[in-house]
Amino acid sequence: MSTARLPLHRRPGFWAGGLFAAFAVISALRISDAIDSTTGFILMVVAMLQIIPLTRASLAKQRSTGHLSAAVARYTRRFLFATFGYVLGLGIAVTIANRVELSQGESFLIALLPVIPVLGMIWTMARYLIEEEDEFLRHRAIMASLFGLGAVLTLGTFWGFLETFEVVPHVWAWWVFPVWAMGMGLGQCWMGLADRRASDPSGDEA
Amino acid sequence: MKNRLKVLRAERNWSQQALAEELGVSRQSVNAIETGRYDPSLPLAFQIADVFSLTIEDIFIHEKD
Repeated sequence: MSTARLPLHRRPGFWAGGLFAAFAVISALRISDAIDSTTGFILMVVAMLQIIPLTRASLAKQRSTGHLSAAVARYTRRFLFATFGYVLGLGIAVTIANRVELSQGESFLIALLPVIPVLGMIWTMARYLIEEEDEFLRHRAIMASLFGLGAVLTLGTFWGFLETFEVVPHVWAWWVFPVWAMGMGLGQCWMGLADRRASDPSGDEA
Repeated sequence: MKNRLKVLRAERNWSQQALAEELGVSRQSVNAIETGRYDPSLPLAFQIADVFSLTIEDIFIHEKD
């Protein structure tokens, strides 16, 4: 099924675009000091609700292209919960850190708030590889994860040396997970494009 | 590894989706195997052979051959 024929609200791209647009607007308002950090956090949580229709549209698309298995559906639900946990944990941690003078031990505990959901995301990915019964989909997920690993190691090492030679500014180490996840997404897109180039999307080629 | 999956499927007038359901895998898996982009594991190769009532060697062609 082509996404071009679907109504807007059933296209994953529509909700992904809405999510990024909302994040961009909220970030711009925050950077320009038009809103305070608490309002920004509340708006971010509200904007995150778009993940629910985005997930539904993505599952429907995966179902139509033959990529949806029971394990994929479980993975998507678990990842959704972990993502909400991450946004909540990050927002609470930043709000507390900005308003309260914390000891080293307290800062350590606060840092765990966004880290625990990230551990949940990693556990979700590991469970997917264990639960996926379709060996080709499992193979693709492993390849995508290696693609992400390659991306984070290459970019991290290169950036580290650029930092050593004072060419670029310092980047916080927590970026490793988002960069790995983005690399994994790019890997999936690249393999998906290769699939489409090599095959008839109707699935009935004789 | 080359294979005769597409020809065998066409002979039986089966769609990729129908074969995928028979094997309990995704249509994309059948597509990837058929186009030679993915070599199935031994258990899946046996399963494919069973579905067509053939041997693995009748379906999958070793590059040396």
